[in-house]
Amino acid sequence: MNLAALEERTSPGTAHAPGQKLGPMVRLLTCGSVDDGKSTLIGRLLWDAAGVTDDQRAAILHASHNRAVNGERIDFSLLLDGLVAEREQGITIDIAWRYFETERRRFVIIDSPGHEQYTRNMATGASHADLAILLVDARHGVKRQTRRHAAICNLVGIKKVIVAVNKMDQIDWSEERYRAIEADFAALAGNFDFAETTTIPVAALTGANVVARSAEMAWYTGPTLLDYLENVDPKVEPEDAPFRMPVQLVLRASGDFRGYAGTVTSGTISVGDRVVDARSGLGATLRRIATMDGDQPSAQKGDAVTLVLDTDLDISRGAVLSEIKRRPVNADVIEARLVWLSEKSFDPEAGYLLRTATDLTPVTSMSVSALVDFETLGVTPAHECGVNDIADCRILLGRATALDLFGDLPLTGNFVLVNAVDGATVAGGVITWVQTGAAAVGDNVLVLDRARLAGLCSDLGDSPADRAEFERRAQEVAILLRSAGVPVLIEADQ
Amino acid sequence: MTALTSHLKLLEAESIHIFREAAAQFRTPVLLYSIGKDSTVLLHLARKAFWPAKPPFPLLHVDTTWKFHDMIAFRDRTVKELGLDLIVHTNHDGLARGMNPFDHPPSIYTDIMRPQALRQALDAGGFDAAFGGARRDEEASRAKERVFSFRAAGHTWDPRLQRPEMWQLLNGRLGRGETVRVFPLSNWTEGDVWRYITLEKLDVVPLYFAADRPVVERNGQLLMVDDERMRLLPGEAPQTRKVRFRTLGCYPLTAAVESEAADLDAVVTETLEARVSERAGRLIDHDQAGAMEMKKREGYF
Ligand SMILES: Nc1nc2c(ncn2[C@@H]2O[C@H](COP(=O)(O)OP(=O)(O)O)[C@@H](O)[C@H]2O)c(=O)[nH]1
Repeated sequence: MNLAALEERTSPGTAHAPGQKLGPMVRLLTCGSVDDGKSTLIGRLLWDAAGVTDDQRAAILHASHNRAVNGERIDFSLLLDGLVAEREQGITIDIAWRYFETERRRFVIIDSPGHEQYTRNMATGASHADLAILLVDARHGVKRQTRRHAAICNLVGIKKVIVAVNKMDQIDWSEERYRAIEADFAALAGNFDFAETTTIPVAALTGANVVARSAEMAWYTGPTLLDYLENVDPKVEPEDAPFRMPVQLVLRASGDFRGYAGTVTSGTISVGDRVVDARSGLGATLRRIATMDGDQPSAQKGDAVTLVLDTDLDISRGAVLSEIKRRPVNADVIEARLVWLSEKSFDPEAGYLLRTATDLTPVTSMSVSALVDFETLGVTPAHECGVNDIADCRILLGRATALDLFGDLPLTGNFVLVNAVDGATVAGGVITWVQTGAAAVGDNVLVLDRARLAGLCSDLGDSPADRAEFERRAQEVAILLRSAGVPVLIEADQ
Repeated sequence: MTALTSHLKLLEAESIHIFREAAAQFRTPVLLYSIGKDSTVLLHLARKAFWPAKPPFPLLHVDTTWKFHDMIAFRDRTVKELGLDLIVHTNHDGLARGMNPFDHPPSIYTDIMRPQALRQALDAGGFDAAFGGARRDEEASRAKERVFSFRAAGHTWDPRLQRPEMWQLLNGRLGRGETVRVFPLSNWTEGDVWRYITLEKLDVVPLYFAADRPVVERNGQLLMVDDERMRLLPGEAPQTRKVRFRTLGCYPLTAAVESEAADLDAVVTETLEARVSERAGRLIDHDQAGAMEMKKREGYF
């Protein structure tokens, strides 16, 4: 490819009149092993299809000239430069977010390193994505890394995966070899819960099948990468998902306005519907959906709203409002699969908190049961886990909290584990099993209730604010006791 | 609801979610209000997040005394109309030492009058969280910024201190001495900000629209002569040109662009077709490679 020709090429206009509809936003994870050509592919997509500004173009062309070995090629990967520290010291290989839009859509590219020692970064990045592009080098086909990347995507809930078989130029654009890779991946995907997988043969370097159709691969009749990205429906929503809204805040305003503010994480709700607080089991009827843009007749997944009920349920942050029929489980024991994020390994004696949608619950005890090998997809029994490990674990909670299974309702079935002392986020997990009423109060479990903490909480009354404060203090006490090896259970709502 | 396109609706809901998470988890938040278009959107989203209650935090403006006059007028009008609390902080110590944008290199002047002033104000107010309007699309080192960005004691930013953020979950449990910057507009682009302003019919500082203004051309950049304090170099004479600003800051340090875009629609069209990235207009950024990250490490944001 000739540099001068590229310099002349202008970016297609990407203007949209304000009223004009861009399609839904798509959040795209890109993953591949080092040298698969990920940077080149993203750079290519930006260069060919999106608004790379003139100063950026000039900088890239300039840098490409400087470092060009053959003096011809633009180094598209230069569009993705990183942190100074990363460049200079090679530390904190992290996730980078990039934004671009084409004629039809707004895209967010979440770029994370693929190597095994960055499993945690990839899992973190993947948790924000609607779909993933898995890069495969056409010369090498589906590798252990590919398997691991697919497994991480699956773990955090990605439902649609694109396999970009890159460097097709290096295998003479061979349909036969491409089909073999396609079949290998199809077999692999059978292990996971993906709703849709698509394989596309590309050459990032020449741009073949990235934005422009490739003459060399006339045998390929599927979409180009951009075609696919501009047309895919990023969301996979079950038809009739149950309503959930974790309460973030109770809003009070003049005229005795009292509303529960939160984002609907599943299903829909309409004025007049019955809702229930999952923890107390108390029900009420939805009277208003209040927003600054006026009252709404209904709200659906993703809407940030404030719900006004006909009766005061006396709930606070951490409660989950649900439909009556299919409710979350009031769980105090969970099993989960998690990715360990912290450099400090799991410590059974440390104080941890379980951060779910809007609740924060002290962990009474936690044990690791197995480590998962994402390259073989096998499980080995284990009791320890450390950074980048994927582990299965069992967690006893200090009190019950409203939860769903991640496989059913991801946004009320996920969590992060927080170190109670320094606040660090040590792991992210998905709930695979829940049980209620199982953390039986044995002889050795100390129950923290209003009576036991009467002295510490003598200034607290029965208002919602005071109850929240009681719970906060009880949690802090629980953390102290836990770190001294005393198992505790909080009973707040007495 | 308003006629927001699906992607703006999603961004709006996500920002409201972030505001609410922060308000619920931090004790004494404050909103850094810098008067520009991003602050305008930030403030509008804050109002939506807590409506019908008012946002449960004050606004903080770090005033260098060299802001455009139109900015200050706009700030005071906005705060009054919405009935919000505003804290204005100036680094008087810096002023007393004669700090100004002419006699000192922009980076030194800016460091003393903005990040240092901001740290003073945050410490004075005992704020544990500060909302800012930064977007990840602004600059390469921002591309990795978190929504909850942690600062160690002394407001220093350390990449190793940053917490992984998974799904919609935001962990705001502070360690000892830590404070947080919260960025509800993380996933917005400059184009989104303008589209949102248009669709929500938000008022912005008139400097964003092209008008005849007195400017001088210096090193290929157009600087506006906003008042008599502007120092002209030998041979420089203000001339009237039709210009507007893509970002706003201290007038002697903010370059204008020639433009005919005199209303919102025209600005949006121009922005979305822009061939030069937004930060090219901020003189301070040309100082050094990775300037933004250096500033961040020093506690600018
Ligand atoms: N022949 C060929 N080389 C490619 C292609 N895509 C990328 N490369 C080269 O592969 C190497 C690694 O690419 P890069 O984008 O830096 O990979 P990353 O490590 O995955 O980001 C570079 O030398 C690229 O020029 C392709 O389609 N064909």
